[in-house]
Amino acid sequence: MTTKLKHRLRFGLATSIPALALAGVLAGCATAPPKSDTADYQAYQQLNDPLEPTNRVFFKVNNTLDTYVMKPVAKGYVDITTQGIRNHVTDFTSNIGEPARMLNFMAEGYPTDAGTSLVRFLVNSTVGIGGIFDPAAAIGYPKTDTDFGITLASWGVPAGPYLYLPAFGPSGVRDVWKYPVEWFATPIEAAPASAALSDFGYSQTGIDLINTRATYLQPIDQINATALDPYATFRSLYRQSRASELQQIQQRDSRTWPDWYHQTAQ
Amino acid sequence: MYFRRFILGAIASVPMLAVLAGTAHALSPNAAKSFITQSGQKLVAIVNGADSQGQKASQLRDLVNQIVAVDQVGDYVLGRYINVATPAQKQQFQALFHQLLSYNITYQIKAYQGVTFTVNSATPQGDDVLVDTTVTAPEKSPADVGWVVEDEAGQPKIIDVIVAGTSLRITTRNDYAGVITDNGGQVSALLNAMQNQISKIAAAQ
Repeated sequence: MTTKLKHRLRFGLATSIPALALAGVLAGCATAPPKSDTADYQAYQQLNDPLEPTNRVFFKVNNTLDTYVMKPVAKGYVDITTQGIRNHVTDFTSNIGEPARMLNFMAEGYPTDAGTSLVRFLVNSTVGIGGIFDPAAAIGYPKTDTDFGITLASWGVPAGPYLYLPAFGPSGVRDVWKYPVEWFATPIEAAPASAALSDFGYSQTGIDLINTRATYLQPIDQINATALDPYATFRSLYRQSRASELQQIQQRDSRTWPDWYHQTAQ
Repeated sequence: MYFRRFILGAIASVPMLAVLAGTAHALSPNAAKSFITQSGQKLVAIVNGADSQGQKASQLRDLVNQIVAVDQVGDYVLGRYINVATPAQKQQFQALFHQLLSYNITYQIKAYQGVTFTVNSATPQGDDVLVDTTVTAPEKSPADVGWVVEDEAGQPKIIDVIVAGTSLRITTRNDYAGVITDNGGQVSALLNAMQNQISKIAAAQ
């Protein structure tokens, strides 16, 4: 890929997400119930999904793409691989995300977790043969997860309205910023540009997408088969899952700022 | 005058409070843990048993009615619309909810063939107890599943299932609320959607 094209892609990714959100604002907003209807109004506020009509359109588009492309590919992938191979693929793609995780943990003020990410990246990239194996977990550095959305939450930024993004799926006005940050913080992006590295980046992204979809084949099928309103179900699952991730990180590590510096965790 | 009424009312309500307090039994973590261990063993025995799918589904339905507080979960899932629904709609909702819950559980029988589980810990949460388990099925990564157990009239019953930080009853409540709000706040729309879902599953079986 030429450097110019790469810059355009970066710029496109960084600007497309807010632009999509804006397009959503302009294209279709849910009508808020009157304030006099207290219960309905409170429920609407709690739902925090003012772009619901637009989000539902993207949900349908993604479902169609999933039915005809992602799901068949993921099923084929499961047929030709074992759970063991899929676990190694997960370890490999997860390892590439460790530097971004380390930066986010540092920004969140969780030095122990940042150290864990750093050790995991160093050990798994070398002893673990480029991250295919996870020896770091065996020596006391288990997998951790965070992203820039969680970092913003730890800084007190509220979740904001729900967003359902084309291709990316469930997100929110706060969490959407994790994508550009992840994009820039991978080792592939930090290394000098080369055609081979770009091809590697594409392959890695492709494998990650298929492997992730394969992991969720059964749960997604189950939700689509049992939910009365799959859109509302995925929205609920996403929000609960994010709240749980944030809570787990806050419970696991302690911040190390001095006593005189008062700041409450969100 | 008002103050005197208030004092008299407060004195009169003390025995009532005592009665109410008596009905809310706090469950011990050990009791919840052994309840989940026994219930899980029964569930695993059914899923991994040699019976036909139809027999397994019927056995699971019976087991679910024994170990899950289905009516209470149904009320929770209906949420604020319980105040909007007519008595007939509430009754119909509970009947449909019982049916759908059974279908949704039996839907997973095949997927969980060969399942095993271990009970890890039990943590009190107010009057309830959260029992953590690890569920393992062939060709699947082990999953941490939490079971919220409550004392219902002296019997431990499951009121929620927590997977990866997500609550099944909260998710279902939001799912059902989505249908009602999309149809102008009509509970009848939810009942229709539930009925359609049951017909769809019945036709597929």
